[in-house]
Amino acid sequence: MQPIKGILREELNNSLHMKESYERELSKLPIGSLVRKKIKDHYYYYLVSRVDGRVKFEYRGKASKAEVKKNEEVKVLRAKYRNLLSRSKKQIKFLRGTLRGEKTI
Amino acid sequence: MEKKQYNLCIKVLAKFHKAGLLKDIILIGSWALVFYKDYFSNITYRPSIRTRDIDLLIPNPLKIKKKVDIPELLKGDGFVVGFRGIQGYMALEHPDLIIEFLVPELGRGTTKPYKLDKLAVNAQALRYLNFLTDKTIKVVVGTMTLKLPHPAYYALHKLIVSQKRKDAYKADKDANAAIDLLKALIRNKETKDLQKAYKSAPPKWQKLILKTLTMRGENELAELFSA
Repeated sequence: MQPIKGILREELNNSLHMKESYERELSKLPIGSLVRKKIKDHYYYYLVSRVDGRVKFEYRGKASKAEVKKNEEVKVLRAKYRNLLSRSKKQIKFLRGTLRGEKTI
Repeated sequence: MEKKQYNLCIKVLAKFHKAGLLKDIILIGSWALVFYKDYFSNITYRPSIRTRDIDLLIPNPLKIKKKVDIPELLKGDGFVVGFRGIQGYMALEHPDLIIEFLVPELGRGTTKPYKLDKLAVNAQALRYLNFLTDKTIKVVVGTMTLKLPHPAYYALHKLIVSQKRKDAYKADKDANAAIDLLKALIRNKETKDLQKAYKSAPPKWQKLILKTLTMRGENELAELFSA
């Protein structure tokens, strides 16, 4: 059983590393996301973010296509990283739980 | 989990294949064992336990001509760059897989990461890896051709490094995987290839192989080589 315990410990360390990496990458992403509003037949963009628990709308005007595209990509990446961060946290919980009972393994 | 992990591995390898990298890379580590199942088509071979790490060996880093930004290539799949140890060896991390790059250590060796600028990653240089490049096999997976070390060389390499491991569980894992593979090769009637691989190793390495086998009580296997 020694190799299994060792591997579980190694995997726990890997997941802890991974959690840190995802948190670091998430903090690197630009804050907020662009939303489009239609005002008198014209489209305008606002950057929506949460500041001190409150939703803040920042007027960005007619954002360029490149800016909109970049923001969409960031949104997808943020969702993906959050999902994978959540999975890493679940792995940590599972591995810690498994190793806690290691004497009986 | 396992199916998901396997599919992600195939997806990553397919991206490498599309980028023209697979011809320069040898898949080593416990993931190579998964693909040996196809090599042993005449016998039953079940690989032992494996971790999430995929080790990719770049046999001759200086030969790589094509520029491929690997972290960028895999970013869309959720891989993030992580750094291991105080030396800062790079790993591409995902909850299902961790990709690491290795190069054979030559000369006096160094603990510093080996920069692979063309691939935008760094690699860890490790001793004995050149043994794995001595004889390789090709395994067809879907539309890709994977390069793997010949199982005999893989098994003997594991027996060598098992003696060098600081962690007992890693030494056990290496030795167990190697012994399983050696027995599969014998069942597959490749005893002569095994002996040939053993003879191609330097005498010091041969001693390490025999030491691991006798320590594990595998005297029959040890006799096969010492005969």
